[in-house]
Amino acid sequence: MPAKILSVDDSQTIRRIVGGVLFPYDCILYEAANGLEGLVAARREKPDLIILDISMPVMDGISMLTHLMEDPELKAIPVLMLTAVSDHNNVVRIAHLGARDYLVKPFHEARLLEKMSQLVPLRKKSAPLPAG
Amino acid sequence: MADSFNYRELAERYGLEPLPENVLRLARLVTRQEADLDEMTWVIAQDATLARRLVRAADPWTENEKDCGVVAVRAALLRTGVRCVLLLAMSAPLTFALARTFHTMLGLELKNLPPEWEPPFFGEQVLCVIGFSGKAAGKLFLRLSPDGARRVAAAMLRVEPEQITRDADISDAIGELLNMVTGNLKSNLCDSGLDCELQTPSVGLTRQFEIEAVPGGGWERAVFHAPGIMLFVDLTVNPWGS
Repeated sequence: MPAKILSVDDSQTIRRIVGGVLFPYDCILYEAANGLEGLVAARREKPDLIILDISMPVMDGISMLTHLMEDPELKAIPVLMLTAVSDHNNVVRIAHLGARDYLVKPFHEARLLEKMSQLVPLRKKSAPLPAG
Repeated sequence: MADSFNYRELAERYGLEPLPENVLRLARLVTRQEADLDEMTWVIAQDATLARRLVRAADPWTENEKDCGVVAVRAALLRTGVRCVLLLAMSAPLTFALARTFHTMLGLELKNLPPEWEPPFFGEQVLCVIGFSGKAAGKLFLRLSPDGARRVAAAMLRVEPEQITRDADISDAIGELLNMVTGNLKSNLCDSGLDCELQTPSVGLTRQFEIEAVPGGGWERAVFHAPGIMLFVDLTVNPWGS
């Protein structure tokens, strides 16, 4: 079964970078542009991992994380925060809320892959079988 | 909140970099509006770069820039006012954050040029602005040519500039880059006791740019260069915004 990963970020650029990092792997990537869309997608798809930004319009990442952790069906999904915000209060608050890991923007793609791999098993796409 | 999570441990686990101790100390002194000038003078005088910049900010035409001892720093501080100190102190981590963002996300090495080397920048420019408000209030502006913005977006998305065909892709990439830099600035301000919230970035084209400092605030400009890209960054901040 391919891993299901949900990327929640208001920047399409970041979602495309996440997609690029995951491209060689057997997984399905879902995208959401804010916390509200993210919650809807999380309830519908039950992903294996959520990559979550903080500063977003409509609903920010901290509110989405709070809702996720209050939902018995979603609270076990590991959340990796991917955000430019790294002040003391937010980092401690997010750890309290139950995020599993934190990666500060700007980030190296290899570091993002490493952190995602620690939270969900990622398998490379198998090579196509030779014809005949 | 019960601090059962130790910030130092979390910072180490997540690889977070703390604000330089002298900047943090200075920012905390500025936060107290009845700041002790002697203490502030002493902290600034320990940082040769900051001391030189303060002396220069107090008197841009000074020919005695090398004299940045306690007496010169105190005189400069009295002349510029305490608000200017936070701006100068935050500028160094901001420059570092910008260079790191370009290096990490784009693989580009930014060179910091002195503002007086600024070449004339006429014609259309892409202008990105992010505001922040709270105990500290301000704005960060980033400007570059449309061609430079296309190169930046392409480098970020690992494609050739010709493959970027939608203006929305350029706007999103530039907005996100500035968001990363401003996020770092916001975190530094918050950790200094100046809690603030970021606003959504706005990106557009302009033919004229004139910085408008936030009420009660000062401003600082930095100019950067990378192959094919000239970048102008302006910061205006009032540490006592609210």
